[in-house]
Amino acid sequence: MITLAHVLTLGAVLFCIAVAGIFINRKNVIVLLMCIELMLLAVNTNFVAFSRFLGDPAGQVFVFFILTVAAAEAAIGLAILVVLFRNRATIDVTDIDRLKG
Amino acid sequence: MTEFNTRDLVTILPELVFLGSIGAILIVDLFIKPSQRIVTHVLSILALAVTAGFVWSAAPAERVTAFGGMFVVDMIATTLKLAVLLTTALALVYGRHYMQERKLLVGEFYLLILFATLGMLLLVSAGNLVTAYLGLELLALSSYALVALNRDSAIAAEAAIKYFVLGALASGMLLYGMSMVYGATGTLDLARIVAATPDVQHPNLLAVGVVFIVVGVAFKLGAVPFHMWLPDVYHGAPTAVTTFIGSAPKLAAFGLAYRLLEDGLGGMSPHWSQMLAILAVLSLAVGNLFAIAQTNLKRMLAYSTISHVGFLLLGFVGATPAGYAAAMFYAVAYALTAVVAFGMIALLARAGFEADEIDDFKGLNQRSPWYAAVMATIMFSLAGVPPLFGFFAKLLVLKSAVDAGYLWLAIVAIVFAIVGLFYYLRVVKVMYFDDAIEGGTLVLPADRPLRWVLSVNGIALLGLGFASGPLFAWCNRAFGL
Amino acid sequence: MTFELVCFYVFAAVAAAAALAVISVRNPVVAALSLVLTFFSMACVWLLADAEFLAVALVLVYVGAVMVLFLFVVMMLDIELVPLRETASRFLPIGVAVAAVMLVEMLMLIGVRSLKVEPIADPAATAGLSNIEWLARSLFTDYLLPFEVAALILTVGLIAAVPLTLRHRVGVKKQNPSRQVQVRREDRLRIIKMAAETKQGESP
Repeated sequence: MITLAHVLTLGAVLFCIAVAGIFINRKNVIVLLMCIELMLLAVNTNFVAFSRFLGDPAGQVFVFFILTVAAAEAAIGLAILVVLFRNRATIDVTDIDRLKG
Repeated sequence: MTEFNTRDLVTILPELVFLGSIGAILIVDLFIKPSQRIVTHVLSILALAVTAGFVWSAAPAERVTAFGGMFVVDMIATTLKLAVLLTTALALVYGRHYMQERKLLVGEFYLLILFATLGMLLLVSAGNLVTAYLGLELLALSSYALVALNRDSAIAAEAAIKYFVLGALASGMLLYGMSMVYGATGTLDLARIVAATPDVQHPNLLAVGVVFIVVGVAFKLGAVPFHMWLPDVYHGAPTAVTTFIGSAPKLAAFGLAYRLLEDGLGGMSPHWSQMLAILAVLSLAVGNLFAIAQTNLKRMLAYSTISHVGFLLLGFVGATPAGYAAAMFYAVAYALTAVVAFGMIALLARAGFEADEIDDFKGLNQRSPWYAAVMATIMFSLAGVPPLFGFFAKLLVLKSAVDAGYLWLAIVAIVFAIVGLFYYLRVVKVMYFDDAIEGGTLVLPADRPLRWVLSVNGIALLGLGFASGPLFAWCNRAFGL
Repeated sequence: MTFELVCFYVFAAVAAAAALAVISVRNPVVAALSLVLTFFSMACVWLLADAEFLAVALVLVYVGAVMVLFLFVVMMLDIELVPLRETASRFLPIGVAVAAVMLVEMLMLIGVRSLKVEPIADPAATAGLSNIEWLARSLFTDYLLPFEVAALILTVGLIAAVPLTLRHRVGVKKQNPSRQVQVRREDRLRIIKMAAETKQGESP
């Protein structure tokens, strides 16, 4: 049978991949945004697992809200990205360095 | 399962009134010409004032919950809401002239600020992890867009993307922590979490949850080592937007920290208080030391914010009501000072001239003795010079830390406060002892409310310093002392 | 090993591999498509955990809307791939090390070994409800207030995205369908009364 440990481990693996992606990604802001989506997916998996093993709907309801917010967040994030690209013609993280100090 | 109860609507009446006004402003703004934007401006301030009136008059004597514990109204929430509404209104008054000169005074500027304010009102009243998260995101999403509002500025776009990525990362951390807390306690309700804490089956889950929640809160507060976004965002955003996001959201961040750490995870305070102590020391050190090296005033104030966050956390380390009361007083004092500090930059800015370098304040005393005096008052208050508002705030959190047994932390804080004096005094020095780059008297904007309110706000820092006794008594009462 | 467990391992492996592809490939379009695969496999894992509604919502919202938006932006921005290729590997060892240490620490801290609990019977099925009904009863009673706030967040997303990306360029010739539809005969055709021409010598 699938136990809680299985799903939580999968959640932790996804979370760490997302964090690693944010660390090593110095090329592309879009991939950075994808890593954030991956991180939210890991969180959602945790909530689904706990909800199932506690027999409580609250966890799944929370996932519903996270999905909603993530959609709005992606829209705003990509809009900011478009503004950035129009101004700088780059989305390379290492080039985004005007603000320093 | 909770049945719908119409009494719940009375409890959230201030928020409903505010939401109704936002909807009305949204529609009115569609039908007015850009030259009549003053209508939106006046309506927005009116909406904030009316909401403050409702918050004040509907304030319950004791803790009231609505929607099955989702929403909590107590004196802490009421105090923070009133402070948030006041600070937001001040930020709107200070920002209008700046945005107008840059042709950025669009309806969305007001709407996003109002939605962010609504998010803050929900956040400080959160009684459930879901409400806290949604209030936080309503605030955060509006703020990201506000920073990017100047579409033709490369540094604004850069600041916005940094703010967005790190803000979303912080939300991810916070959510991961929340999922662990949910798994350990089996509930999302903050009151039930604190009740379930002593006998959880898997204490490890709860401990991991606490670590991630502290990291998420530290990100949102801007505590070191999670402060990277703060200087860039304050510097890159239009000054009017910095005035807003540098002031009122600090109150909301205090509310978030209090609701999650004390209301929800109060039983885990031995775990998080030590982490907060480390964050406080690092914030005090990095904030004050890096601020010295800055030449840009907005960046300097950003690093100063980080050091103030360090002070704010001093109130949390003891996990006592007295400490929280001192921290809340500190948050209110800081928000009222920061809003006028950024307001000064917005006042001196003109089209094509940002006035955000420290050198731009050279010889301000020769050109306008009055505003030099106001700016000096602000700087002294931020530095914590008696008898100004900021001094009493610092004194109270230091006292609470000493009472909680963190004498070493208080000594560290005092040492760095003295270091901090140096860079605040440098601004005063260039205003009074350096020669102005451009001669003649200062060209001030014709926006009369801006000049008057800003002057009153600046001088009030002195008056509030003398009136800090009753104000602190109020904060104490909010925490049942 | 039950059939369910085999399925879980397969979907989990695919999800993890696709997630690794997201952070390691150079082409953002491939990264976006790998992310779609991750979401899809995770939706299957959620199905195994009896979260049917959320599994379908994940595919609809993410694969159907969010990822399409991502791909749209990737293609609209026309990012050059060549300059992006450099400076990639400097942070690679640190990143991998941090992630590996973090994973081990997290698993140890969470105490995965002690969490080998068997699931209880599906709570929705025991109550005689479908997953959707079970969720909806909670969503529209206990979570009524957050539900309304979520609507506000979507409104903010809408209000925020428009001023950031909508541009009225000057000097662009374009049609305005609204004005085209509303056109009236009087706007296009003007009938002018004028005296009829008369031949010389003839009296009118």
